[in-house]
Amino acid sequence: MLITTAVISWALLLANLLLTAESLQQREYTEPLLPFIHNILLIIFIISVFFYQRINVLKLKKGDFTGYLWNFFLRAAIGAYIALAIYIGFVLSTDFINLKSNLLLHMVYHTFFGLLVVFLGKGLYIWRQLLLYHKNRFLQVAWDWFELLLYGTLLLTLLNFDYTSYIFLPLLALLVFYILFLCTNLKWVAYLNFNKKSRSLVLLGAILLSWYIFKWFFYKFQSHPELAADYTDVGFLLLVMLFVGLYGLAAFLVSLFSLPTSSVFEQKSEDLLNFQRLSQSIQQGQSEQQVYDTVFDSTVKASAASAGWLELDKGREKEISHMLNITEEQIERIRHLLLAYNYDTDHINNNLERNPGFKDLELPWQSIVVLPIKSLKHHFGVLYLLKDIENGFDKETVNVLQTFTNQTTLTIENLRLVAESLQNERYKEELKIASTVQENLIPKTFPSDSWFEISTHAVAAKEVGGDFYDFLQLSESRIAIIIGDVSGKGITAAFHMAQMKGIFHGLMQQDMAPSEFMRQANSALSRCLERTSFITSSLYIIDYRMKGFVFARAGHCHTLYYNAMMEDTFYFQTDGLGLGIIRDQSYKNHIREMFYDYNPGDVMVIYTDGIIEARGAENNNEEYGEDRLRYMLEQCYHLEAEDIKYAIINDLQTFTGPNTIYDDQTLLVIKFKADQQTV
Amino acid sequence: MKITNEIKDATIIITLDGELDASSSVILDEELSNPEVMKFSKILVNCENLHYISSAGLGVFISHLQRFEDAQIKLIFFNMQDKVRNVFEILGLDLLMTIVSNYEEAMTIADE
Repeated sequence: MLITTAVISWALLLANLLLTAESLQQREYTEPLLPFIHNILLIIFIISVFFYQRINVLKLKKGDFTGYLWNFFLRAAIGAYIALAIYIGFVLSTDFINLKSNLLLHMVYHTFFGLLVVFLGKGLYIWRQLLLYHKNRFLQVAWDWFELLLYGTLLLTLLNFDYTSYIFLPLLALLVFYILFLCTNLKWVAYLNFNKKSRSLVLLGAILLSWYIFKWFFYKFQSHPELAADYTDVGFLLLVMLFVGLYGLAAFLVSLFSLPTSSVFEQKSEDLLNFQRLSQSIQQGQSEQQVYDTVFDSTVKASAASAGWLELDKGREKEISHMLNITEEQIERIRHLLLAYNYDTDHINNNLERNPGFKDLELPWQSIVVLPIKSLKHHFGVLYLLKDIENGFDKETVNVLQTFTNQTTLTIENLRLVAESLQNERYKEELKIASTVQENLIPKTFPSDSWFEISTHAVAAKEVGGDFYDFLQLSESRIAIIIGDVSGKGITAAFHMAQMKGIFHGLMQQDMAPSEFMRQANSALSRCLERTSFITSSLYIIDYRMKGFVFARAGHCHTLYYNAMMEDTFYFQTDGLGLGIIRDQSYKNHIREMFYDYNPGDVMVIYTDGIIEARGAENNNEEYGEDRLRYMLEQCYHLEAEDIKYAIINDLQTFTGPNTIYDDQTLLVIKFKADQQTV
Repeated sequence: MKITNEIKDATIIITLDGELDASSSVILDEELSNPEVMKFSKILVNCENLHYISSAGLGVFISHLQRFEDAQIKLIFFNMQDKVRNVFEILGLDLLMTIVSNYEEAMTIADE
């Protein structure tokens, strides 16, 4: 639509112009025939071309600035050269063939004008794209106002005001300053590398030349006597012309003068990119080797080193992982020298020629920098870089290199942490399996019989614990029950617990007295328990036909008992040394056995120290204690075994508060009943 | 846990202050493993401010017990709190180790 409007208005404009020219020749009339129509057509043409450019503004991917320039040149600036060719053709034809045609002159002039408007429209909006690169709000507003004011000047043409009149001159001058201000926004130039800058310079040069051709042409014909119209009257076009020219010139000059420094910026941006690559290595799942590859390449590039090597600590050995322009033999010699001078970490020497040791080596390098890759805890390796010139490593370069090595340290440490956490995950899985295995070692169900009931409770503080209990039916009327606690917690305790279960089942097959069992268990454990570990245990053999039990206590918590006949609650006070404390034959002197006859209604409470040593929620130093346990039994001995257990556990949990198990807790409640099956 | 040493002639007095749990027992083990300790004829352990002893703590004393006995070094505990003494007694260690009520008594036994 806009194109059609542009073309039609251009054609009408031409027609009007020719008409005017015709009348001009005949009547020597200086004004265009229809000044108002002429101006309206002019404005329609300009606006349609500019709006077309505004709507169809090129949107290239970020950073392709030469693309914009190339587009500008190809689609608009080339018009100047075409126009120039036409003009030369015109001049030749008038000069040599002596053809003097007013029609032709106007055609040429008007073609020039059409191409100029396209050039300016394109230029304005291409420059806008570049100018607003990395814009802020202020710049956006400034630009919007600029555009508005610019289009506002079209009103002057529409109303046929002379823009050079004194009223508008200051306003126009202000606009010129505005343009100058806008021309300072050239951030995009900084993002060009050397190659792109050179290409931009060529393109900008071509564009500026186009601009000059247009300018030259229109000023040459400014006061041509035979021309019916003078477009230099249009203030809008002058202002846009000024803007396009100035911005192009500014970009050209800035590009030209920043050309020598562009390599520095390129290096910096490459350094930044490499930093980024280093820090992203973890997300990308790179190995340590790849991280070292990156750091070696990056540091060599960043410092423009002519040679270098990277050695990594592999245990006690040092391994050279990367080499550049150097032989292993040379490395060996340099390292010896550095060691001799004690320069093996953090060292810079920018004048190796002055050092007699290095001079003797006759190496082609004159500067060396030694940078360790290490954190406070770990030493990962050392980076050596060499240069063939004096003062090769200045402060700035060394800073960059250090940043690289620091980043590497960070990355490597993080990589290791990630690996470690994966490993931990695996350990957790295995611990879960161990936990399941251990749970299966503890019997879930006891033989239920009419003469006694038993209820159990067991929780471990960690995944696996050191508490255990078990039973073995020795004969029809006799059952052995064992409880034990391995010192320490965790995996070792769990292993010893499993061992103890094996010992229990192995020895009790032979049906022996509790004290004899303890003696033999002590002897067996002495051979496998480490010096600081010990096991406490109690073994009970209950004979319901005899209505009594015999037990031995090896350092284990005292047994709590309720005697229904005497209505008394007490602890059995017997002596007995824990297993694994004395590891010779003298142990048998430290273990005692006790017989006891039970009555129906008696209650026996067997437990581990996790119960009585549980800490209180209110006062961390207060322990649950034997007294409180005994008090609980005094209160609830009349209940079923299961309910006595729940009563005690509930009281314990109220005492400790939730989620505060520091030690494994095991509790067994046995209640003897009147035997109903006696024959 | 704070462990301090005091040397009086051929006697070393080790004072335990705090809770002897799994982590602090490692420090105690290092202390007792020191070859210097074997030069003394008596080791007195002041338990006045020992509030708690874990099985790991007991394990440390147990592991060194035989070694001291073989070297004829006397290991004597004194000023022990009831709670801690109860732990020693339940395990049967009171019959194996010398536990006395105060420093004077400890010194007399040590001099025997």
